[in-house]
Amino acid sequence: MSSDIPSTPHDSLLRDLLSGLSLTGPEPTRSVGLLASPHHAPQPPAHCLQACLDGDPNAIGRLGCQLLAAAAAGNLDPQTPMPTRCPKGFQVAARHALIGNSPMVVFTVQGKNAAGSESVDFDRPEMDPARLLAHLDAASNLVQRIGQLLEENAGFANEVLQNYEQLNLIFDLTQQITQFTHVAGIERLLAQRVARLLSAETVYVVSLDGRCRVYPARKTEGAGAQPVKPASAIGQFGDAPAEDLARAGSGAALSDEMRSAVESVRRTRRVLVAMPDGRHLIAGPLMRLDEKVDVVLAVRHPDRGVFNAGDMMLLESVLSFGGQIISNTELHDRMRRMSLEVTRALVAAIDKKDHYTSGHSERAGFLTALTAVHLGVRPPQLQAMEWAGLLHDVGKIGIPEEILCKPGKLTPEEFELIKQHPRMGYEILQPIKSLGVILDGVLYHHEYPDGSGYPEGLVGEQIPLVARIIHVVDSFDALTTSRSYREAFSIEEAIQIIRREEGTHIDAEVAEAFIEAFDVYRRDHPHDFALRFAHLVEREMADAHV
Amino acid sequence: MSRILVAEDDPHILRLISMWLTRHGHEVIEARNGLVARELISTQPVDVLVSDVNMPGMDGLNLVETVYGTGQVRHGVIVLTNRWDHGEIGERLADWGVQVIAKPFSPSRLSELIESMTAGTRRAGRPAHSAGTPDQQSTSQEAGAP
Repeated sequence: MSSDIPSTPHDSLLRDLLSGLSLTGPEPTRSVGLLASPHHAPQPPAHCLQACLDGDPNAIGRLGCQLLAAAAAGNLDPQTPMPTRCPKGFQVAARHALIGNSPMVVFTVQGKNAAGSESVDFDRPEMDPARLLAHLDAASNLVQRIGQLLEENAGFANEVLQNYEQLNLIFDLTQQITQFTHVAGIERLLAQRVARLLSAETVYVVSLDGRCRVYPARKTEGAGAQPVKPASAIGQFGDAPAEDLARAGSGAALSDEMRSAVESVRRTRRVLVAMPDGRHLIAGPLMRLDEKVDVVLAVRHPDRGVFNAGDMMLLESVLSFGGQIISNTELHDRMRRMSLEVTRALVAAIDKKDHYTSGHSERAGFLTALTAVHLGVRPPQLQAMEWAGLLHDVGKIGIPEEILCKPGKLTPEEFELIKQHPRMGYEILQPIKSLGVILDGVLYHHEYPDGSGYPEGLVGEQIPLVARIIHVVDSFDALTTSRSYREAFSIEEAIQIIRREEGTHIDAEVAEAFIEAFDVYRRDHPHDFALRFAHLVEREMADAHV
Repeated sequence: MSRILVAEDDPHILRLISMWLTRHGHEVIEARNGLVARELISTQPVDVLVSDVNMPGMDGLNLVETVYGTGQVRHGVIVLTNRWDHGEIGERLADWGVQVIAKPFSPSRLSELIESMTAGTRRAGRPAHSAGTPDQQSTSQEAGAP
């Protein structure tokens, strides 16, 4: 609030006040000047300028009277009674006053008016220019203070708006991130939100192997101190960052400074801010599974100002939250993969027991899923059905090998034993609580629509869909592979046999769905078919030669 | 540039919204309660009404009911509220195409909504209806009569 800086609005206000206090007319009868200000050039009253100073405000001391000189030097003689008369015959008064917090001397000169009388009585306090000036100065200080408060208020408002924006971006992030089940999607969402939260131009994610994915924020017009420019979250970013730029390289997009920031973050696992060649850079760790550290770099346009402590905290918390979610997703993926691999290993072990049925379970799983899709089954039910197909024969693990692989006809006792395998499979898997549909598939895959199946003799719709599907594909695969007692049937022969059993041993709707689905698959995916069903392809080629 | 009336009894929030929208080039008319807002709107129609819910005199919901269908709000109504039942308010006003934003509101979402409301050409007097969540919203359709 000092008048250190010349020519502030306050100065012009003072000048206006001075002229306002001067009573002008055809003949000026009073003029007011400001002298002895530490910050301003002397402003002598108009009377003095005209009568003594030749119009030059800086001539005080050289021209003009002793009174004016003393006032300009700030040396008012307390003995001099005020008002007093100057050598030119004007009545003058000089008073100390505090204006704009600075001590000054208000020098008032009063002449006679046309009527020949002194116009203003200095002794009336309300007529004292020094007092009036001080009051008006106080008022102007208030005006100035209000202006400052408004400015501060706008500053706070700006900050509040920015905080609201950030808060909403974080709400939005926490809400949206849970909808992703794959790491790439989560990473993209994080990068996009980081770009908006930090008003960054570009966000880079650098993996341990040096691969760098770039997420550019769309250029926004009107930078400066403005908070984030409005734009829809979806429209603001390039659409295909990850794949494209991952191709662009192993860190090719990064400058040396950025690379060293990456190294440093990887070492310290702390957020850091750097300013290589005027660019503003912030980098932080994104912890992934197995203590692997990806580094997220954000680059901001210099006009947006330097990254501050708040930005660092924001990045740290968003990345640690995001890192948790990414690690959990990766862990979840790994567990799922592992359980699938373990299951496959178990299934391969069963198939090994009976060399005739090599690959049978794998194919049954595949064909179950194929048929289920055709019947309109959707994930996650679909996944469970595929597993049921894979595991349906797990109970055979409890049947002696000599019976399973016996060439020739089984005795009724042996057949009774074989019929135990659905129940055995059920009992093996039953302790695994999460298996649900799978257990249905395992237990009932030898039930027939007419009730002549086993183990419970269920009828028609009583048999769970998954079991009806497995029964169809199980039959098909059994028919199209050779047995110790017979050669394999061709696909067409197998389908004929299945159709003959429809309604009695085979569910007609499911069987037809399977036949259609298998037909489409064979036609549309010949390569996959040749890989999974090599024995059928060989058989067809052999038949063609005959 | 649109003429926007902001009805909000909290002076800080009113100033905040007013500052933000002015900075985005809009002409902002401030009202400290629903009655004043209704009075101002009836004197001179506005493009968009941004209103708080809880206000002395006439609350935001009454205000919306009063001006709806009068043609005095040309493009749409946005209701800002920190009430716990903001979800229900949103459902209640959805037929009228009123957008409800929970406080603390996202400033950029507010200005996006206003831009999307005023971008299309619509018949006067019907609040705009924007479909989808704000992040996805880009399409606006005409709202049917309630």
